[in-house]
Amino acid sequence: MTTATLEKQTPAKQKVMLVEGNEAAALGVALARPDMVAVYPITPQSSLVEHVAKLIADGRMDADIVDAEGEHSVLSVLQGGSLAGARTYTATCGPGLAFMFEPYFRTSGMRLPIVMSIVTRDGITPQSVWGGHQDAMTVREVGWVQVYCETVQEVLDTTIMAFKIAEHHDVMLPVNVCLDGNYLSYGTSRVELPDQAEVDAFMGDKNVNWHVALDPLRPMAVDPLTGGSSGRGPSTFVRYRKGQCRGMQNSLRVIEEVHEEWANRFGRRYAPLVEDYRMEDADYAIMTLGSMSGAGKDAIDEARDAGKKVGLIKIKTFSPFPVEALMKSLRNVKALGVVDRSVGFRWNCGPMYQETLGVLYRLGRHVPSQSFIGGLAGADITTTHFHRVIDETEALLSTPASTEPVWLNEKD
Amino acid sequence: MGAYNTIAFDAAKCDGCGDCMTACAETKVGAGDSARSRIQIGGDAANGFELALCRQCGDPKCVSVCPAGALGKDAASGVIAWDASKCVDCLLCTVGCAYAGIALDEATGRVAKCDMCEGNPACVTACPHDALKLVTTSRIYNEVGNWEDLFAPGLAGCQGCNTELLMRHTLRRVGPDTVLATPPGCVPGMGSVGFNGTTGTKVPVFHPLLTNTAPMLAGVKRHYKRIGREITALAIAGDGGASDVGFQSLSGAAERNEQILFMVVDNEGYMNTGMQRSSCTPYGAWTSTTPVGEATHGKTQDAKNLPLIMVNHRCEYVATASTAYMEDFYDKLDKAIAASKRGFAYLHVYSPCTTGWRFPTDQNMEVARKAVETNFVMLWEYSRAGGLHFTRPVDDPLPVTEYLKAMGRFRHLSDDQISHIQSKVVENLGFVKQLAHVAKA
Repeated sequence: MTTATLEKQTPAKQKVMLVEGNEAAALGVALARPDMVAVYPITPQSSLVEHVAKLIADGRMDADIVDAEGEHSVLSVLQGGSLAGARTYTATCGPGLAFMFEPYFRTSGMRLPIVMSIVTRDGITPQSVWGGHQDAMTVREVGWVQVYCETVQEVLDTTIMAFKIAEHHDVMLPVNVCLDGNYLSYGTSRVELPDQAEVDAFMGDKNVNWHVALDPLRPMAVDPLTGGSSGRGPSTFVRYRKGQCRGMQNSLRVIEEVHEEWANRFGRRYAPLVEDYRMEDADYAIMTLGSMSGAGKDAIDEARDAGKKVGLIKIKTFSPFPVEALMKSLRNVKALGVVDRSVGFRWNCGPMYQETLGVLYRLGRHVPSQSFIGGLAGADITTTHFHRVIDETEALLSTPASTEPVWLNEKD
Repeated sequence: MGAYNTIAFDAAKCDGCGDCMTACAETKVGAGDSARSRIQIGGDAANGFELALCRQCGDPKCVSVCPAGALGKDAASGVIAWDASKCVDCLLCTVGCAYAGIALDEATGRVAKCDMCEGNPACVTACPHDALKLVTTSRIYNEVGNWEDLFAPGLAGCQGCNTELLMRHTLRRVGPDTVLATPPGCVPGMGSVGFNGTTGTKVPVFHPLLTNTAPMLAGVKRHYKRIGREITALAIAGDGGASDVGFQSLSGAAERNEQILFMVVDNEGYMNTGMQRSSCTPYGAWTSTTPVGEATHGKTQDAKNLPLIMVNHRCEYVATASTAYMEDFYDKLDKAIAASKRGFAYLHVYSPCTTGWRFPTDQNMEVARKAVETNFVMLWEYSRAGGLHFTRPVDDPLPVTEYLKAMGRFRHLSDDQISHIQSKVVENLGFVKQLAHVAKA
């Protein structure tokens, strides 16, 4: 914090800093110039909003900051601000996200382009303040766009891109930027800070409430009761829902476009939906999400050195689930191991694994697959764990898969 | 137009002495012949006294039936004046008036009527029993009657509900540069936010969650403030959402002194969803979740006093009001609007529910009035500078039974329950008096 400046710099001279992921997110927020942020502390998100508050207190970020009395009000304040035309931001996780759920559900329905970081945390109970994807996974079916970052630099860059994706007129949906609690929130890394003028040019004009507004100059009723079993029938409701789904599908294209523009302007290229890592000629693959992917890639490199024909598929955009892109990545795969950092209670497997089963079905051929669950409650998923994932996935080529998930950190 | 004065008659205080008629006759015709008085008291002590006097009507029938243009309402004073030079003595006016307010003076053969004695009526001065009073009427109508009603016509309230009155008056006063929040409850249930793609208001209106009215409105207000636009952020909410599930967010917004006017229409329960208990439901009351049966007999706890809790947030302004006392309400509404430009303003309006409280639909005002006259409900206001004080103190309250018996929801009460309620009324009054006293000191 002490050395960071957001003053105008030449694009060639991006400032280099050493920051934790939470600070990187805060710097990204500042560069995106929101009008309003609302904050409430919760581990491991707290230092993120502290950084935002300090940026505002130091006069380096011009935004109205609301220290609300809880996450429920945090998102509610932003809904009001967004309806009045404000670019808005907040961050939360775990129990805070659970408490926020009522307005959270509604944000996507009102098509409000609010950006919220989820500094992911495992679900309680058992009591835990540590990282894990259980919080974000639990709300994956609520119509928010959800992207997961792998590195601190990606957190910074994606936070800015998230506003542009959310506010795209073909999308108009709230976006979660998920960064792994502990590993990305507190992990300190070198980052390049984009130039403010370049970010301004990248962002373009702001118009967040062209479609729905609370404005005396163009009065309208926001979210009146729709017909259902009586009245005019459910057609209004159905039209809205269909529109939400359309917005989600549109976001897949927009996410790709925005990442492409980012790469061209700032020189940093990220796979927007699905990343293929050493997938050329791979017979089998493992799938990862978030910060675990680094160790996963290291393990793949070692396995490749040992002559194994294995690759890694990393999901960045989890919601909407990138079905087409993933089908492409999986087109030659003969066995698949999917590593989740959370559980899907209903299917006794990881949620990403469960989603992927649908994609495998669409491939139209049988691909033996296995769910691996690791990194719960902040546990580290090391290259050793990934070698086990690789080996057990390789075994699927010749032996039948288990219906039980493999619990990677069970004996750690 | 300004407010008009008129003469009010309290039959309960009249003993039929006739001093008013004597005084009128002496003043107007120089003789004590009460038959020539323009005010006439009829009836008797046994059946009650009645008044025959010009009401200086707003829509006077005497004027409309007069074929000669001899009668007209003076816009400045509100007095209906008779022009002797134009009168053709047809007496149609005496037939047109339903109040016997204009009558033939047999001594002159012409009609005569009250002219308000240029603002100082002799009858009022003469009355030894306070049965006649000069009161200001139509102030609200004259002030706001021509302002735009910003709600759509035909709100779908229950028959006899006066929340519609409250909503229309409030929005009319606050005006078009408003963003209105009406969380789930009777207010949107009446159609304030509209149905099926229609809107119920001419101002931007939204349907927040039951739980987040205040913070959502705060977000709206804050952004307009940031971009330099003046709006009023107004909530018309129910007691359940405010005092129960939405209380945290209400308290948070008040603590942050968000610039909001938050009005709670307190009908003492979740009436829109089927008359369930809220924490504002009074002790002993029947609701659909505090039913009356063999084992239990209505709510077993006392009501939460939400307005007093808001006082403890040291808001810019907090007041209680009643639909039976609209002038008091309007005074407070004006202060609350002004306060909401500086910070959090809170208005708590007691609004009887014909459907949920179980009383005839023509009794709403009477029930509301009885609540105040028994001190079951107290009308006061608070500001940081002025402290807390009563705006309509009731020094000689009726027993609470006068209020309770007006409604079906208290029909089952035992004597013990009634005495509990009466003692709570006394306790609450003492508590608020103490606050008022402390504020004064």
